[in-house]
Amino acid sequence: MSALPWLLPALPGLAGVALLVTGRGADRVAPVAAVAVTAVALVLAVLAALTRPAATTPLFAGLRAGLAVDGLSSVLVVTVCAVAAAILVFAAGDTGEVRRARARFFGLMLLFTAAMLVTVTATDLALLLAGWEVMGAMSYALIGFVWRDGSAVRSAEVAFVTTRAGDVGLYVAAGCALAGTGSLELAGLADGARPWRDLVAAGVVAAALGKSAQLPLSFWLSRAMVGPSPVSALLHSATMVAAGAYLLLRLRPLLAATGWAMHLVAWAGALTALLLGVVALAQRDLKQLLAASTCAQLGFMVMAAGVGALAGGAAHLVAHAAVKSLLFLCAGVWLAALGTRDLGKLRGAARRDRVVGVSFGVGALALGGVPPLSLWVTKESILTVAARWSPWLYAVALAAALLSAAYAAKAVAAVWASGDVRGWRRPGPLERLPLPVLALAAATFGLVGLPPVFDAWRRLLGADGEPGPGAGGLLLAGVLALAVTAAGLKWRVPWSLPGARDWLGLERAASFLVVRPVMALARSLARFDDRVIDGAVNGVGRAGTALARLLREKAEAGVDGLVRDVGTGTGELAVLARRPQTGLVHTYLAQAAVWLLLLAVVIALTGWTC
Amino acid sequence: MRDDPLDLLPELFVLFGAVLGLLALTVSPKGGARWVAWLCALGLTGCLVTAVVAAFSPGGTVFGSYVLDPLTNVVRGVAALATLPCLVLARGVLARGGGLRPEAHVLMSLAALGTVTLAGAGDLLVLVAAYLLASVPGYALAGLSGDAPGTEAALKYYLVGAFLGVLTLTGVTLLYGLAGTSAYPGLGGALRAVPQAAVVCALVALFAGVMFKAGGVPGHFWVPDVTEGAPAAVAAFVTTVPKLGAFAALLRMAEEFLTSSAADWRLLLALVSVATMTLGNLAAFRQTNVRRLLAYSTISQAGYLLLPVVAVPAPLARPALLFYLGAYAVTNLGAFAVVVATGRDTLDGYPGLSGRSPALACALAVCLLGFAGTPPTAVFLGKVMAFTAVWQGGYAWLAVVAALNTVASLFYYLRWIVPVFRPAPSPGGDVPVRSAALTAYAAATASLVLGVAGGVVLPP
Repeated sequence: MSALPWLLPALPGLAGVALLVTGRGADRVAPVAAVAVTAVALVLAVLAALTRPAATTPLFAGLRAGLAVDGLSSVLVVTVCAVAAAILVFAAGDTGEVRRARARFFGLMLLFTAAMLVTVTATDLALLLAGWEVMGAMSYALIGFVWRDGSAVRSAEVAFVTTRAGDVGLYVAAGCALAGTGSLELAGLADGARPWRDLVAAGVVAAALGKSAQLPLSFWLSRAMVGPSPVSALLHSATMVAAGAYLLLRLRPLLAATGWAMHLVAWAGALTALLLGVVALAQRDLKQLLAASTCAQLGFMVMAAGVGALAGGAAHLVAHAAVKSLLFLCAGVWLAALGTRDLGKLRGAARRDRVVGVSFGVGALALGGVPPLSLWVTKESILTVAARWSPWLYAVALAAALLSAAYAAKAVAAVWASGDVRGWRRPGPLERLPLPVLALAAATFGLVGLPPVFDAWRRLLGADGEPGPGAGGLLLAGVLALAVTAAGLKWRVPWSLPGARDWLGLERAASFLVVRPVMALARSLARFDDRVIDGAVNGVGRAGTALARLLREKAEAGVDGLVRDVGTGTGELAVLARRPQTGLVHTYLAQAAVWLLLLAVVIALTGWTC
Repeated sequence: MRDDPLDLLPELFVLFGAVLGLLALTVSPKGGARWVAWLCALGLTGCLVTAVVAAFSPGGTVFGSYVLDPLTNVVRGVAALATLPCLVLARGVLARGGGLRPEAHVLMSLAALGTVTLAGAGDLLVLVAAYLLASVPGYALAGLSGDAPGTEAALKYYLVGAFLGVLTLTGVTLLYGLAGTSAYPGLGGALRAVPQAAVVCALVALFAGVMFKAGGVPGHFWVPDVTEGAPAAVAAFVTTVPKLGAFAALLRMAEEFLTSSAADWRLLLALVSVATMTLGNLAAFRQTNVRRLLAYSTISQAGYLLLPVVAVPAPLARPALLFYLGAYAVTNLGAFAVVVATGRDTLDGYPGLSGRSPALACALAVCLLGFAGTPPTAVFLGKVMAFTAVWQGGYAWLAVVAALNTVASLFYYLRWIVPVFRPAPSPGGDVPVRSAALTAYAAATASLVLGVAGGVVLPP
């Protein structure tokens, strides 16, 4: 039992709440406070990763809730805190999108981080759900941060409602877990009774696919792009979308126990990686390209959970977090500097500031899986396991990997092209500071693939016996990625596909298949409510008043008269009651005698007859 | 057979207090007047203390005819406690120089002694003696002022008492003739085999005197006349203290031998109760004289007090009667103390009392609302217990009639309370008598304390 697991999320959480409650008054100190808090949280996270504390508390009758830092959690908490620290440093220097309402922005970011920390350390579904939900709510608030912009708020709604639709699965899972195992412990879910276990798995998979923006719910991530760049950076790297992948990796035993869920997850991930790779390639907007690539890369992690590549999936998650936060921050710099995200207008942007440009180049090449950068290794460690699983799966994943090389090359080629950039605004030192750090991590995290390092990594995650990235596979993927990247850089194909440009029409499909029928049903139910139920209620009211009027006119006079008659009658009786008190003693005595005689006769007679 | 005079120490204390007071008055009519109240009060206090001690001693029957049990002990204590404020009120009347003599204290003590003896009587002959002891000082008290209304009151009191007392003696004689004994335990056994009509006649005659003391139908005729004609302190005494003994005696008779008789005595008492409470309430409706109003109110209360007796042998009967007696004594004394304190006998004298003396107005409101059965006063609790007891005893209709009567009674109590809290038509007025006012405050407080504490302590 230790306080550290509680302290870790509580520190950023309480700091976030304090900033939110204080409001505009804290705008000045908010950046410094938030960065300091995140730095301390990072120290705590490292401490927790080393000591592996656990803590539980009674929740409801017979249930315990707990937080614990085990191998997977320790990787996640350090990643979350490190990425959050880097992004908040960037945001502290950001003079663009989050210039206003800094207390609100940093408060929400801290609370968002705290929720992610709870999610990745929870040992039971109750706390996990709590973190999960707070994270969803914060994502809504952050995507719609510029609330004066109506379209931003609408996009936030789309993102929130879509992820919430998946979240329903987690509630179903919690209920079924309680029914099946009698507890909410994550570790015990795989041992549940038969029908319940399958329902739990279905709920968890639905929630995770929704959160991780996998097919067919990918479109919300496109809408999430309207948020400020630091928000995108945090949302797409170590939090939110990562939560879905984390949950699936964490519950890999449950997926394996049901059988079908593991196949479903593996293929959902692989297809997402492939199709969203196509989508990414078709984008003209840098942030949209990166968003689609996030879906695709998370597809690899989800596939890892399906095929059981625990160590590979976790490594890919960490490496991708560094890469993607870096790329979004760079996109943020250019958006602030040039006011555009259009790849065509960003030509030559990377040449204006070499720190930003080189960092972006390193990150993008890593995203494309170019050796020797990190994602090349981590992706291959997943593909190695997938190849053993099914050659078809491997083929799809390899195609997806080549697509990632293609869209990464497209982005690099666009920003490094020689071009004329107008209206440049120099990024501040704080904005530039995290970029090389993240680039370094993006470049070197591939070292995890070295056999001795991977061995330790496997042990850390408790995935003994999982094969590391194979040399043959590495060679093949590396050569192909280099070839594709080189081709992409040389010919700069403005590859465009109308269907892929708007994300395969997923949002329209969802709107057509789900939103419209639901709204139509809601409208008809509302009509039913207005006409029938409300009408009945109004009818009762009207009938009541009518009846009351009738009673007032017809019956009340009678009741009133009765009351008056009772009063008058009692008054007359009262007069009568004073009559015996004549004041004359002889009448008293006579009356008393009559009374007694009467009593005697009555009692004697009743006794007689009985 | 137990015959230790020390068992009667509480009674002896009252007696000695009264006799010493009388001696003091005889020796020195002027100087004794100062001491007589204190001597009587001392005797009553001794009675109270020894009664408390006796409550923790083993009970039993002494001298073959006097029962020592909780009933006797409670009446000893309550009678002493109820007589003490009457002494205070009498001193208040004396201090005003209005129509009382110092002998009133002695007579009150002696009447209280009679009441205690009524409660303890375990033999019909002792009952008759106690009846006389409780009544005769009362007649003298009523006429002690010597003015015309007092004299008329005393005469009426005496004539009604003598007539009904003779009837009681007749009833005792009849019972003795039928059963061959006058002791309660023996009567219980003997009355089983006796013709029912004869027992009914004997019981009706016996109850005549008891109802005279209790102020219930048909022995109620004296109550309004004496209450109006006698000095207010005397009125407070005769409507409060003798009732205690009468109801205790009735309860004892019911428990000891009435239950074994063939006559339907419960129906008899139930009819008496209905007649008493209804007549008392109705006659109080249009009263403008507050003393007569209070007199009829005490008659209706006597009707409610009969309920627990009807309920015998329900387990709640005894606690209900004893608690109600205490609550009634406190409330009645409080109301009369207000009358003594203000010196106003008609309703016209009460508008604006709340302005002149807010505390007195509140005390009056507490007492009157208590009579009407408003929580959290003592009488409310007593009524709840009495109604519950009679319901348990199988006389649900009687409880309903009593409840209706209670509702009706609110009318005339409010007729008195409402003007009290209206502004006075003409400002100014007498300063209330201090001792009487203090008595009223104490009574009102006691009513509330009993009501709240009793609700906590007693079984529902």
